Amino acid sequence: DALLGCHRSYRSRPTHGIGRFKYLLPKEVPKRRKEKVQMKEISAGTEYQYGDLNIQMTSYDLCLVEHFAQHVHRLCNRLSIRVNESYAMPTKTNEVLFLEERGSKMQLDAVLTTHQRVVQIRGLSSTFAPILLEVIQSNQPEGVHLLIKEHTEADFKSRLKSRPELEELLAEMS
Amino acid sequence: PPESVPPHAFCCFSSCSSWLPQRVPLQGSHWQSSLLESRTSLPVRAQPKKKKKVDVKKEQAQKERMKKKLKKLEKAAPELIPIEDFITPLKYTESNRVRSLPALSPEESERRVLLLKKWCLFKQKQDKAEKKAIQALVDSQQEALQELQLESEELYQAAIRRDEGLFPFERDGPSYTPPLPGYDPPEGKCTDITKVYTQ
Repeated sequence: DALLGCHRSYRSRPTHGIGRFKYLLPKEVPKRRKEKVQMKEISAGTEYQYGDLNIQMTSYDLCLVEHFAQHVHRLCNRLSIRVNESYAMPTKTNEVLFLEERGSKMQLDAVLTTHQRVVQIRGLSSTFAPILLEVIQSNQPEGVHLLIKEHTEADFKSRLKSRPELEELLAEMS
Repeated sequence: PPESVPPHAFCCFSSCSSWLPQRVPLQGSHWQSSLLESRTSLPVRAQPKKKKKVDVKKEQAQKERMKKKLKKLEKAAPELIPIEDFITPLKYTESNRVRSLPALSPEESERRVLLLKKWCLFKQKQDKAEKKAIQALVDSQQEALQELQLESEELYQAAIRRDEGLFPFERDGPSYTPPLPGYDPPEGKCTDITKVYTQ
């Protein structure tokens, strides 16, 4: 097929395969289809090791929380703790209104955005867990709220878009 | 239809449940009257029977349509909610304004480079101290566990186990200033205006 790509195929002649050029171009990587978002298995962990843990960092300040998440990720890499995923949760926007001193109208004070980053780790040994917590706490910046909990399916589902039509149909069927 | 006929009359009938009463020798006049009832009730039941059939078919068709819709919706993979942090708003990409910085004198740039080097050294010392502290913690913990093992095996095993009460662990970050005592905040409310994405 390589040599016969061109319609002029005079195999006996020295000019056979004269129009070939595809072999000179760089190899094209086949385009990957969009992979379906599927939940990975949640490990429960053994008696001496914790399963999947989520380190969730929440703050109003984006740069701070982003840098702290990077710091925690690098710390886990350095301490050879396996990091499954490091992702961001959707941002929440809050509108703060306050009542004016003289008047009944609510005035807009500020629009606050809450950002959350999650670092998911697996296989943290029970003896090392308190040390890791100490280190993370000592580096915790101001205004960043730390929460460490076990990973559940509900946590994963909260990242996905809601499907009201599907839920309606399911409710009708049952 | 078989309700009007007494149940033990069916034992004579064929297994394929035809509700038409067969030509079976009946005994007793009460049976005949019941047959008559069933015969007269035939035309009365004809009308509602048709409605039932049509209803059943319609219901079945509806159910199948719903099942097809459900299959189609379930085929589509669930999508992640897009994160607004990572999408730059358009107003920052449209304008072309460029910042013009003043030129630095050589002394100034020299001072800055030296300051950077001092900062790097300081941070390196800090990082090394942290690593040393972590290593010291781990070593002392291992030593303590070894001593405990020598003392009693049971306590060692209990200490090695994971702590169920540790998670969930929550902690607020430190604040620059403590909260003011006796501060009276103005009345107000906080409304959530996050955009809801649906698939």
